[in-house]
Amino acid sequence: MSYESPIREPLVNGGKTYADVTRDILRPLENKPSTSWWIGFSISAVVLAIWIAATTWTMLEGIGAWGLNKTVGWAFDITNFVFWVGIGHAGTLISAVLLLFRQKWRMSINRSAEAMTIFAVICAASFILSHMGRPWVAYWPIPLPNAFGTLWVNFNSPLVWDVFAISTYFSVSLVFWYIGLIPDIASVRDRAQGVRKFVYNFFSMGWNGSTRTWHRYEMISLILAGISTPLVFSVHSIVSMDFATSLVPGWHTTIFPPYFVAGAIFSGFGMVLTLLVVGRVVLKQEEYITMGHLDAMCRIVMLTGTMVGLAYITEFFVAAYSGVEYEQYAFINRASGPYWWSYWIMMSCNLIAPQVFWTKWARSTPWFIFVMSIIVNIGMWFERFVIIVTSLHRDFLPSSWTMYTPTYIEFAILAGSFGLFFTFYFLFCKYLPTINMAEVKSILPTHAHDDHHDASHSTHSDVEKGDAVHG
Amino acid sequence: MMLGVYDNPDTVFTVTENLMKAGYDVHDVYSPFAIHNLDKVIGVKRTRLSTAAFLFAMTGLLSAVTLMVYASYFDWQMNIGGKPSLHIPTYIPITFELSILFTAFGMVGCFFFVNRMFPGRNTDVIDLRVTDDRFVIAVNIHPQTDVKSLEQTFVSGGALEVRERVKDI
Repeated sequence: MSYESPIREPLVNGGKTYADVTRDILRPLENKPSTSWWIGFSISAVVLAIWIAATTWTMLEGIGAWGLNKTVGWAFDITNFVFWVGIGHAGTLISAVLLLFRQKWRMSINRSAEAMTIFAVICAASFILSHMGRPWVAYWPIPLPNAFGTLWVNFNSPLVWDVFAISTYFSVSLVFWYIGLIPDIASVRDRAQGVRKFVYNFFSMGWNGSTRTWHRYEMISLILAGISTPLVFSVHSIVSMDFATSLVPGWHTTIFPPYFVAGAIFSGFGMVLTLLVVGRVVLKQEEYITMGHLDAMCRIVMLTGTMVGLAYITEFFVAAYSGVEYEQYAFINRASGPYWWSYWIMMSCNLIAPQVFWTKWARSTPWFIFVMSIIVNIGMWFERFVIIVTSLHRDFLPSSWTMYTPTYIEFAILAGSFGLFFTFYFLFCKYLPTINMAEVKSILPTHAHDDHHDASHSTHSDVEKGDAVHG
Repeated sequence: MMLGVYDNPDTVFTVTENLMKAGYDVHDVYSPFAIHNLDKVIGVKRTRLSTAAFLFAMTGLLSAVTLMVYASYFDWQMNIGGKPSLHIPTYIPITFELSILFTAFGMVGCFFFVNRMFPGRNTDVIDLRVTDDRFVIAVNIHPQTDVKSLEQTFVSGGALEVRERVKDI
């Protein structure tokens, strides 16, 4: 059903048949986990244990366990929150925005990117809970009738908007991801036996693959994509308003919403590259996640990196042009004050480093892309650190100027959140198809299937027998 | 019910078109992925889920506005930083988010309802390979149906198997 352009490279290499797609992608699910999976999973679980310990310590001690002080009231906690929420934007962007733009290369990467979204938002939410200091009253930002003299939440506050934005984003992303998974879970179900069949049957919701079902399915996928696209942009805009609606010099800027959204896409694609450059080799999916996919993602990283770089420079220009000395000092202090190193790490990782992707070599060398993706992650973490800490640590009253130094507990929570993220991710790789099989099958050229059918007619029954044995 | 099993979506499309032209009662076509325009060929009416989605969006919008206007204006006004209690621009983000939340959950709920889908449903899969690499055309048999020529159409269209299924779906 798919037209193959003679100019563009094929989206899936290796002349795959439909059965090949099912077999290749379900291989990790239908076999015992590999040694590399066990190594990765064990390391993640150990790091997760560090996270549990450090978070528990924070709960017991209160946020006095952190390096916060009277002047710097937000630091690692909100930096990590914005960092993880930003990473959580690539998944829905890939599946929703690229669906609306009919970019078919998204089909091999959208499943794992959406999974990454969900796990990243879970990590982000954990920081929201722990930064409250009293997590057992975390339900207070929700507008509930209560016993405090009908005290409602302040709907003028961006922090309340953020509660709605993040929880909507998480639940809609989860629904979108699950809807995409249903046909593939049914594929697993129809090849499985015993307990696995029971479990996958439970989650397949009785999917039967009929044209009527597909017709409705296509409709809701399109609408979900249509509503998720403005959702992605709105969520990070609202996150930026947590800062932009304040009066703190360095935060109080109108450029924040687009600048944060570009940064979120940038860091999200950075994390997608980190996961997929390794994952495609370990899961033997090089024919599905091709060099063409890596190339396209590198281009997006370069574009969005340049956009955030432009925003950094625009902020400086606006501060200078405003004539407000507090605004001007905030930016001079960023670039040359005591935290100058964090500013220049941000600049070099986010604006300067991605420019290497102008060269074809950089976009087609996996190890180099991996190194670059780590640099992007580091740079985007420092962007949030720069915005938050350097704007706060020298406030309007010079007598309260101070420095912020994180404690070991804060480092442990930051490191541990990667354990939380990767533990989820490894479980996902083992129990769910990491590539959307139904979509990938729909972009296979149908004549390739015919060729295979004719060429291997004699072995066809063997293939089917092999399939039946699976599970 | 007669089933024709195929391995190529293009063939399935042509055969279904021919069957519809010849006046057979095509029950449904089962495939591992959506075959575009096949729904039109077998006469599936355009789903009204998009209308449902719009109505859910409006429900979300109204709920959000009602909640915020009631809570911050009618029930208990608060003066925080001298900002107004009834202030439409600051209601926009939450209204937008709730509209999307209601749309997504309402529409997906309706999707499950019209498809009779629920967790743990034991569906009667027409062919286990239909979620892998096979395409099945199911044609209802009536007393006046010419089964011989139906089989003929299936086979000449390139069917790998033609079989009868006694149980209805």
